[in-house]
Amino acid sequence: MKRHLMGVVAAGLTVALGVSGCGKGSSSGGDSDGKTIKFVAAIYDDNTKPYWDALIKDFEAKNSGYKVNLEMVDWTQMDAKVKTYVQTKQVPDVLNYNAFSDFARDGLIYKADEVLSPGTLGDFTPTFVQQAQYNGAQYGLPFISSARLLFYNKALFKKAGISDPPATWDEVRADAEKIKKAGATGYGLPLGPEESQAEFYSWAMNNGGGWVDASGKWAINQKANVDTLAFLKDLNKSGLTQPNPETTDRKTVFNQFAQGKIGMAIGGPFTKAGFIDPVNKDLDFGVAPLPSKGGTEHNTLGVMDVLAAFKKDGGKNKEAVKKFLDFFYQKENTSKFLKTEGFLPVTKSAGDALSADPYMKQFVDALPTSKFAPTSNPAWSAVAGAVKQDLGTAAANEDPKKVLDKIQETAEKAG
Amino acid sequence: MQELKARERGAAASTAPRPSLLRRTGRALAPLPWLAPSLALIAIVVLWPVIEMVRTSLQKISSSGVTLGYRGGGNYTDLFGEDDLVPVVLRTLLWVAGVVVITMVLSLALGQLLNARFPGRRVVRWAVIVPWAASVLMTALIWKWMLDNYSGLVNRVLLDLHVIDEPVNWLAHPGQAMLWMMWVAVFVSLPFTSFVILAGLQTIPADVYEAARVDGAGHLRTYLAITLPLLRPAILIASIINVINVFNSFPIIWAMTGGGPGSKTDTTTTFMYKLAFYDQNVGESGAMAVVNFALILVMVLLYLRAARWREEVR
Repeated sequence: MKRHLMGVVAAGLTVALGVSGCGKGSSSGGDSDGKTIKFVAAIYDDNTKPYWDALIKDFEAKNSGYKVNLEMVDWTQMDAKVKTYVQTKQVPDVLNYNAFSDFARDGLIYKADEVLSPGTLGDFTPTFVQQAQYNGAQYGLPFISSARLLFYNKALFKKAGISDPPATWDEVRADAEKIKKAGATGYGLPLGPEESQAEFYSWAMNNGGGWVDASGKWAINQKANVDTLAFLKDLNKSGLTQPNPETTDRKTVFNQFAQGKIGMAIGGPFTKAGFIDPVNKDLDFGVAPLPSKGGTEHNTLGVMDVLAAFKKDGGKNKEAVKKFLDFFYQKENTSKFLKTEGFLPVTKSAGDALSADPYMKQFVDALPTSKFAPTSNPAWSAVAGAVKQDLGTAAANEDPKKVLDKIQETAEKAG
Repeated sequence: MQELKARERGAAASTAPRPSLLRRTGRALAPLPWLAPSLALIAIVVLWPVIEMVRTSLQKISSSGVTLGYRGGGNYTDLFGEDDLVPVVLRTLLWVAGVVVITMVLSLALGQLLNARFPGRRVVRWAVIVPWAASVLMTALIWKWMLDNYSGLVNRVLLDLHVIDEPVNWLAHPGQAMLWMMWVAVFVSLPFTSFVILAGLQTIPADVYEAARVDGAGHLRTYLAITLPLLRPAILIASIINVINVFNSFPIIWAMTGGGPGSKTDTTTTFMYKLAFYDQNVGESGAMAVVNFALILVMVLLYLRAARWREEVR
């Protein structure tokens, strides 16, 4: 009798282990009615979750029967999470991310006009619609945008005897030397693995460089880029930047900037609320266009995050997704998000709401001249990854040309 | 004569009618219900992930995570074509050898100390466990902050002692960064290792030492001729577990340098992560995982051979 029992227990245990181990393929129940959707949102800061909680509560109250399950994911976890969702076939219905083109290439997401009403679709600023296309069709749903400008410390500039922010690279160098003599770091250069692609592009685009050539082919090791990197390396080697730009992230740079130890650095609209205010609310700083080599043309780096709507259960979720997205893209809802987080609008209707704030207005005004990274190319994520890893080493000891050659190779391999 | 009889008896037994096939398989399968749970556990926890890993390394996986079919050895060709691979593997071997050897030497000393009778021994034993109870990631982060260029404790202390003239950005220089990370790795491996050694020391019976004392052996002689040989099983286990642990150690390196600058402080584990999430190449990362797995197996087997494992087991 006892032996019999043991056998049953053993068999039961085996089955239980088998089921729990191999159960990844089955979809968890509950969302097959097409009225419940899963929304994965990125955490921008502490205000993000309360915003979405309130929005979803409001949405559910106004659309009875529909439900949104919210999952918040930190940016540092995002890439890994998204890959897991796709590989285990558990994609969310709506995802808040910074890339969409490889999902479009692999046929995972809806086209924009399938999940947005014409009214919402027409409200996007054309620049962003262009950025959200893959093979001529819009797949990405522009979510937030941001632009980069030069931040400078007015007190340090005064102390060093400089009257205006620099417009050319020569002036940047000269000003950095004066600031160094005044006892601070001239320019804060974050080329660490966090976002070196943004910092580098901000300089390269103002020297006629960029990621791709006129025909859209990768041109990472072009001469203008090599010269740009050589200029940044020279700044570092002359002791005009903080030590070791290759391991420095923006957070460190703006922490020092806020403490008045750095004269200049490149930041975005979120820099004040996110990096400067928590350290030193009273910092007297100014914002100026990005300096360019010749000083005539000043380009601005534009950044856009997107929403992507995944195809699921043969299109059953389309209606609920559409309802939710149209709700979010209502003017008051989007502009509330932008205000809470310090980002720039992607829709015309939310644009005017932000221009009232003089700090924000500078960035909104810079948007028309902004250039974007080639995010509509599915290989961009791999390129950005390679840049994050290796670009900074060229500001330290490696040869700029060699480093850019290597990244070019990665780019061509990725497609 | 006796022998012959025995042989005859054996021959007689083998010519006796065999039990039917059914009964024999029945008898062979009889223990299965008792073995099944552990066999299933091994299959699910050990074999399945390994198979899945090898399978991934042979597949083409798009950057978004969709599997696009088999790719043969393509991922391996890509991997062996990486300029960074050889330095990364060599660095990994150096990292493992350095951390494990230093940990073992320190643990032997620490184990001996914990084994000695002295007042407050219990408190000291607890104190040694504490770093083990703390999360490795936290320990690594705390050290990263202590080594910080602007506000780190280490620079402050060294500046105040006039050892250095200006703050050093320790983790930005590959050589120094490796040494600091090895120190953290040793620090977090010590508790486990010294407790294994301590356990080993406590299995050595006191009369062996008594006999040695009677024979007039000195302290060093006793240690070399008695303690160390008898500790061999404990040392074996501790060093194998440490080799595997340190080889696969991710949080320390990721938290402190992220493998940077460039890939100058990467080991195979962080390199694997970067292949998947920076280069968006899950397949190639899978190939790296398989190579990593093979490397560990080879290292452990070589070590067991050198340590003549078979004798220990018998």
